[in-house]
Amino acid sequence: MSTALAGLLKGSRRPRDNDSAWLLDPQRRGVPNRDRMRHYDDSDEVDLCIVGAGAGGSVLAQRLARRGWRIVVLESGPFWNPDEDWVSDEAGSHQLYWTETRVVGGQDPVELGKNNSGHGVGGSMVHFAGYAPRFHPSDFRTRSQDGVGYDWPISYRDLKKHYEAIERELPVAGQHWPWGEPHSYPHSPHPVSGMAARVWKGALRMGIEMRVGPVAITNGVMGNRPHCIYRGFCLQGCKVDAKASPLITHLPDAIEHGVEVRAESRAIRVEVDDADRATGVVYIDRRSGERRMQRAASVAVAGYSIETSRLLLLSTSARFPNGLCNNEDQVGRYVMVQGAPQVAGRFPDEIHPYKGPPPEVSSEQFYETDETRGFARGFSLQTVGGLPIGWAEHVLADGHWGQALREYMRDFNHWAVMGVLCELLPLPNNRVTLADEKDAYGMPVAHMAYTQCDNDRRNIAYARELMRQLWLQAEAQDVLAIDRYAHLIGGCRMGFGPDDSVCDADHTTWAVRNLFIADGSCCPTQGSANPALTIMALASRLAERLGSRSISFQRAAWRSGRQRAVAAA
Amino acid sequence: MPRGDRYRNAEHLPNLRAGRRAPPAATLPRQRRGTTPQMVGRYPDYDVMDSAHTWDAATRRVVEARLRPRPGRRFFSDDEADTARALCDTVTAQDRDPRIPVMLMVDEKLADRRFDGYRYEDMPDDDQTWRLVLRGLDEVAQRRYGAPFARCAEDAREAICEQFSRGVLQGRVFDQLNCKRAWTVVTRAILAEFYSHPWAWNEIGFGGPAYPRGYMRLGEGLREPHARPEAVHDDPVRELTPPAP
Repeated sequence: MSTALAGLLKGSRRPRDNDSAWLLDPQRRGVPNRDRMRHYDDSDEVDLCIVGAGAGGSVLAQRLARRGWRIVVLESGPFWNPDEDWVSDEAGSHQLYWTETRVVGGQDPVELGKNNSGHGVGGSMVHFAGYAPRFHPSDFRTRSQDGVGYDWPISYRDLKKHYEAIERELPVAGQHWPWGEPHSYPHSPHPVSGMAARVWKGALRMGIEMRVGPVAITNGVMGNRPHCIYRGFCLQGCKVDAKASPLITHLPDAIEHGVEVRAESRAIRVEVDDADRATGVVYIDRRSGERRMQRAASVAVAGYSIETSRLLLLSTSARFPNGLCNNEDQVGRYVMVQGAPQVAGRFPDEIHPYKGPPPEVSSEQFYETDETRGFARGFSLQTVGGLPIGWAEHVLADGHWGQALREYMRDFNHWAVMGVLCELLPLPNNRVTLADEKDAYGMPVAHMAYTQCDNDRRNIAYARELMRQLWLQAEAQDVLAIDRYAHLIGGCRMGFGPDDSVCDADHTTWAVRNLFIADGSCCPTQGSANPALTIMALASRLAERLGSRSISFQRAAWRSGRQRAVAAA
Repeated sequence: MPRGDRYRNAEHLPNLRAGRRAPPAATLPRQRRGTTPQMVGRYPDYDVMDSAHTWDAATRRVVEARLRPRPGRRFFSDDEADTARALCDTVTAQDRDPRIPVMLMVDEKLADRRFDGYRYEDMPDDDQTWRLVLRGLDEVAQRRYGAPFARCAEDAREAICEQFSRGVLQGRVFDQLNCKRAWTVVTRAILAEFYSHPWAWNEIGFGGPAYPRGYMRLGEGLREPHARPEAVHDDPVRELTPPAP
């Protein structure tokens, strides 16, 4: 479509085949049709059992339900009622995150919890900031193009129409996008807050192009979803229903088409028969503590990088003594995070960093490899928000506590914060394994090891210095920096064979042909884009392939030559 | 130079001052409305609770509960509580009343085992880390100053915390504990509690929960109708009074 026509139609095009926004109640939040949700018996063999009601699982369920599939989604966390359960408050939002213990190690351990791990229906998108950029075409072939990372078995072209569909469903608001494959967005860009304007001014002086968006936040009414009110609590769950999460963008339509979302159900094992076919999922009803099993003709795991890998590792059997699909020792490997340092600048006038959505203006000018920078691949530059507890952690990270910390905190309203997302490379020893420690149900918890490579360190150092320079150019009076990570991706990547990947281009695990990896775990690389949109687009493509029977798992169990050899041994 | 210009020029910020130290708290505006920790702050006429009637019921319940008297201590023992209170107040520079009861807030969190979702492989659970840190601080204080941490003078406590923050404390406990990580575990909890309290929001001029009202003036230098201006000058009476000879 021409840019002019796309501009004219902004905000007016209804998504195809997804009525979620129209199924909501304009007077209260939450999912109204939950009251008439279908229920399946454990013994009833459904067509598909999905583990995890987040970005991947929800889109997969919604798409296939419209094709008549009978689906149960098992979600470990609660089924949210945003009016009652969510608050406009940082500390009060603790229950949105996966707060059960996980063990972190390696030389550069990754903080989990509120930083990157959701829990509950809607998954991590309930607390994601809202940035919804696409991956660049180059992300799918970094090995052949840049000599690092891994080539995907699919390309940008395979995902393009799914990106477009999901952008319309969320919806994504932003200016015409000049980076990667140039494209436009269905909703107009949001107004720019004082803080984002500061970042933009500094960027222009450095010769850096920025654009408003892309954010998955309504700009204007969509169905029964209202527009954004710019209250700044995107990371605490959007009580307004303006910011997208599967809870409001895909599950209402899924439930309308017969999906059961079974909350408070912790999957602990994928059951597989002697012919290497998944037969269902064993889970614990967290309300009763009862152990149950949902029978299913196929299973999709979408628990985000750590829990997806953990579930496979927990599912041991005689045929898979080291965990399901792990006879080649690939499960949990190549897990990735993005380097996400933030640098704040101080200005004479009040900026109020807490006003407006944290995600506003971003740049992908540094996304691709530039050999003069001394490392492969790159980073994106984004505005981020400021709330008191987050700001205190930022000040502390710069080495201030006591009176000095209080002084910087009192200066809160004069600070603007920006951040980067550095593409860190997939490494085999960055890995999710099982720890010795057990959770409340007696299951070993996850251990996540993370160590950066030299390319990662150079990337992060360069990006941090660029932000510092940007603030100096913008005449900031003082700067404060914090090193941190963002997002999780990888762990059960798709590839060309079982030797160095867990699933194929159709998300089908090499070892069990009716078992699918339907979340960000399947991504071999991550770019420097926030992953939510890509996870949804991948699930949308998987649903299309399954629905059109391009993937046929109904046939007798299929085994690769390598697995036959393992079985014979 | 008038104090207002010095403030605009950020001369009060520790990074721009000798020794990265903050100016004395005595030069701060006194709070006139609502409460702030130690009754100082940049927004003397601002009380975030004035807007509580505009908040949704769920948020209001959660925030107002923080202002009610805390239930009794459940996690820290008597001895630990003294040390923990001294540590919390030193890290947040609470040297006089009114104080935000950070120690009791941390106690509640630890007693309920509300952890943050991860543990470093070389560290115990957060509650055990707290107990070890408190024992370690007392041990260091006893060795250096002949008194438990809580009984030490403010500058002695600050000197210990300064080394703690750099991860260089030594002793029976700290030799076995990753000191730098222990500092991040305890400060993370302390700051999360302190800056969840509405008194702290008053001090820093944070708008607080803004649902369903939202914000309408997003631009730099613009203030919402209910917001109050920040203050720089001291009490004019005190400003004019010549210092005592």
